[in-house]
Amino acid sequence: MLNMATRIVQGGFSKGQFALIPMRLQKCNTGPQVNGARNYSSSSSNDMTDNNSNDLKGVTDDSIKKSVFISQSYDVFTNLALEDWLYKNFDFSHHHLLMLWANDPCVVIGRHQNPFIEANVSNLMRKGITLARRNSGGGAVYHDRGNLNCTFFTPRERYNRKYNLNIITRALFREWGIKSDISDRDDIVISGKKISGTAAKLGQPNAYHHCTLLVNSNKLHLSDALAKDEVNIISKATSSVRSPIKNLCDVNRAVNVPQLLSAIGYEFLRTSATELEDGGRDQAMKQRGFQLINPTEKWFPGLTEIREMFASWDWRLGKTPKFTVQKELEMKAEDKEHKVLLSLDVEKGIITNITLTLPTNDVVPVVSNLLNQPYTEDSLHGMMDALKLVPSSDMKQAMSGL
Amino acid sequence: MVLSQKLLNCSLRLLKSSRPVQAQFNGISSANYYRCFGISAVNRSERRFTAKHEWVTVANGIATVGISHYAQDSLGDVVFAQLPDVGANIKQNEECGALESVKAASEVYSPVSGTVTEKNTAVEDSPGLINSSCYDKGWLFKVKLIQPAELEELMDEKKYEEFLKSDSH
Repeated sequence: MLNMATRIVQGGFSKGQFALIPMRLQKCNTGPQVNGARNYSSSSSNDMTDNNSNDLKGVTDDSIKKSVFISQSYDVFTNLALEDWLYKNFDFSHHHLLMLWANDPCVVIGRHQNPFIEANVSNLMRKGITLARRNSGGGAVYHDRGNLNCTFFTPRERYNRKYNLNIITRALFREWGIKSDISDRDDIVISGKKISGTAAKLGQPNAYHHCTLLVNSNKLHLSDALAKDEVNIISKATSSVRSPIKNLCDVNRAVNVPQLLSAIGYEFLRTSATELEDGGRDQAMKQRGFQLINPTEKWFPGLTEIREMFASWDWRLGKTPKFTVQKELEMKAEDKEHKVLLSLDVEKGIITNITLTLPTNDVVPVVSNLLNQPYTEDSLHGMMDALKLVPSSDMKQAMSGL
Repeated sequence: MVLSQKLLNCSLRLLKSSRPVQAQFNGISSANYYRCFGISAVNRSERRFTAKHEWVTVANGIATVGISHYAQDSLGDVVFAQLPDVGANIKQNEECGALESVKAASEVYSPVSGTVTEKNTAVEDSPGLINSSCYDKGWLFKVKLIQPAELEELMDEKKYEEFLKSDSH
């Protein structure tokens, strides 16, 4: 393990490693080839297009190199951008990649989720917890620096979740003797409690599988961050399966993020590329080893633009599948309590329609300056408070007028 | 692999030969254009497939797109369908939507270029239709073709079945 640690390349990429420049970008360039780029291109130097799978068939495990990239950033948008950059631009046909990363406190929701179902967005903003939407499917997770994220990149044809999860469970056992299981949902569990959640993105020609690993996350913050507002939301968005969780440090006090990071990286390097065969130190030494990655525009051209996309309101909230929020309110008229139903339609994150359903089942449109504004829990509560102040005479009028 | 290479060569030849013919059509009105296309090698109602497992059928210059039985089977239960908006201009082989199954989001690539005329809102409401009826009720979106010749690059049902057998996809 010490040997591996000394192989860490300081300060991002040296010139020879600038091979990371995407093949597609190179093709546009008429200038000189970037030194070393050929090492990463597929043997046939074909386009990474439809027939990629044909090229992959002759690739043996021995000819596939492996690298472990350790992101030096704790910014969730930068890390999501780096992940997306690699997914879009890297040629994995002869080079498999494991990216390891951790973030400052944030809630990360799946590609097709509704943040208002998974968390209380207004509350997150008040607490300084970032809300992010990733590109892969699956449910919502809380990240902080006590949580390690692992992204396994391969060509789509070699996407293998079980292989990846086994790398992690083997690393836990080799390093600390911790026994863990892989559930039918591909979560890693210890005595029935989840320590890791999994999600994936499948495209062409590349795919990735990423998962979280709870080491010593702040459990109070985690459950607080994932508590939602008490309203009824009607939506087709993918919903999370809430599960009891456990930190690895509660299984074994010796577990910490830096050690886990090198244990998983080393396990990845010593295992052959597509089969779960342990090749020991010899196998690990054949690989490209650990590399510290500084995710900047200089090393990853276009990264800033991707980061801005991930950080934008349009992506994080605007991509929310359309939904309806309903809240039952009690209003006084003629000294009696009437139950009315406040209902807001939200499309692309914007409130498009507001109605009240009266006890008589009549639906009244509500005129409000919140129309065509972004939906938040705070704006809903502001509206509820305003409705409580509606004089009972107006309510009476509304009821009798219909 | 050899077989699919042959198929590729074959379809490339087809493509090459169709280009000059198509150039002649450019000056003719679109009505004639489609009539000429109708009598070409592509049968209008025939289902064609891509190597990425999308299917397409064409009627009156409008292509209907979905995913193959193989694709829905390997995806597993689809829980969310993100489809291109009506009016969107999409290009062949470009990402135009995503299907999310339990824990994986898979990109949908358009098999043809054109303008989206309709999306299947039934599938948006019940994504399970993609699993239960991938060739019928589970269609995804419709496209007004701008380059019908693109269809000739795609596999017919027989070739697609051979492709499934011969390739590791």
